[in-house]
Amino acid sequence: MIRVLVTDDSRVMRQIVIRTLRQAGYDWDVREAADGAEALEAIRADEPDVVLSDWNMPNLNGIDLLRSLRAEGFATPFGFVTSEGSPEMRAQAEAAGALFLIAKPFTPEAFREVIDPVLA
Amino acid sequence: MSTVVEHDQVLAIAQEVFAAMVDGDEGLLQPWPGELPVIEDAVVAWVDLHGPWPGRAELRTSGATANDLTRALLSLPDGEVVTSLDLVDAFGEVANVVGGNVKSLLPLQGSLGLPQVAPSAPAVPGARLVQELPLSWRGRPLVVAVWAFAQPALPEGTRLS
Repeated sequence: MIRVLVTDDSRVMRQIVIRTLRQAGYDWDVREAADGAEALEAIRADEPDVVLSDWNMPNLNGIDLLRSLRAEGFATPFGFVTSEGSPEMRAQAEAAGALFLIAKPFTPEAFREVIDPVLA
Repeated sequence: MSTVVEHDQVLAIAQEVFAAMVDGDEGLLQPWPGELPVIEDAVVAWVDLHGPWPGRAELRTSGATANDLTRALLSLPDGEVVTSLDLVDAFGEVANVVGGNVKSLLPLQGSLGLPQVAPSAPAVPGARLVQELPLSWRGRPLVVAVWAFAQPALPEGTRLS
C-alpha cells in the first residue's frame, strides 16, 4: 500500500484532501503533518512514498520543505495541493523538483489527472 | 486592482470554490436577489495579498451560516456542534482558497498571508473596495469582497491600467 504524508496547516483541508484521495480511488495509508517543519521531521523519521503538501503554511512553507528535502538527499515524490496555481508558482514548484501542483479548489478527477501518470 | 479583478471573475471563483469544497454540487451559491439584509452576528474570514498588488479577499456571513458552512466542509450532520477552532479553520480556508484564486488573476505575483477569522476585519487606511458581491448560499446572505490597498512603487514600465 502506498504511504502518503498529507501536509497542510488546516485540519479541515487535510481532511478534504484525504477524502478526495479516497474519492479518486486511492486507498492509501495516510499520515498527516500540520506544517512544513512537522512534515520534515516526519519524513526524516519515516520516509513516505509520496508527499502532498500545501504551499502557504506557518513555520516552514511548502516550497522550503521541498527544497530542504532535496538538500538533505530525499528524492521523495512530492506534489503541491495549494490555493495558488499561478504560472510563476508552477514554475517554482517544478524547478524545486515537484511532480505536480493541484490548485484548490479541486475535484477527484483533478487528483487522478496528475497522480495516475506519476503512478504509471 | 479594479482593472484586473472583475465582478464576474470573483463570482466564478466563489462559485467554483463552494461547488468543489463546500457543497459537492454546483448552483448553491448565487447572486443575492435584491437588497442584501443586514448580516447579524457577523463573522469575517479574510486573507491579505502582499507584494505589487496588495489587497484583501474577504468573506462575511452570519455566525449561524458560518457554522453551517463548517458542517458542510467537514461533512458533519445537521445540528452537530461546531467548535470555534473548526469554524476558524474551515471558514478561513474558504477565504484562503478564494484569495489564492484572486491572486492568480493579478499580473504581478506577490505572496498570500495566512487566513484570519474574526467578528470584523481590521481596517486598512486608504483601502479601496474593488468588488463586493452580495451572494446567497443556500438562501443565506454571504458577502465576498476584494479590497485594494495602497500600492508600493511598481517595477519600471509597469502600467496600472
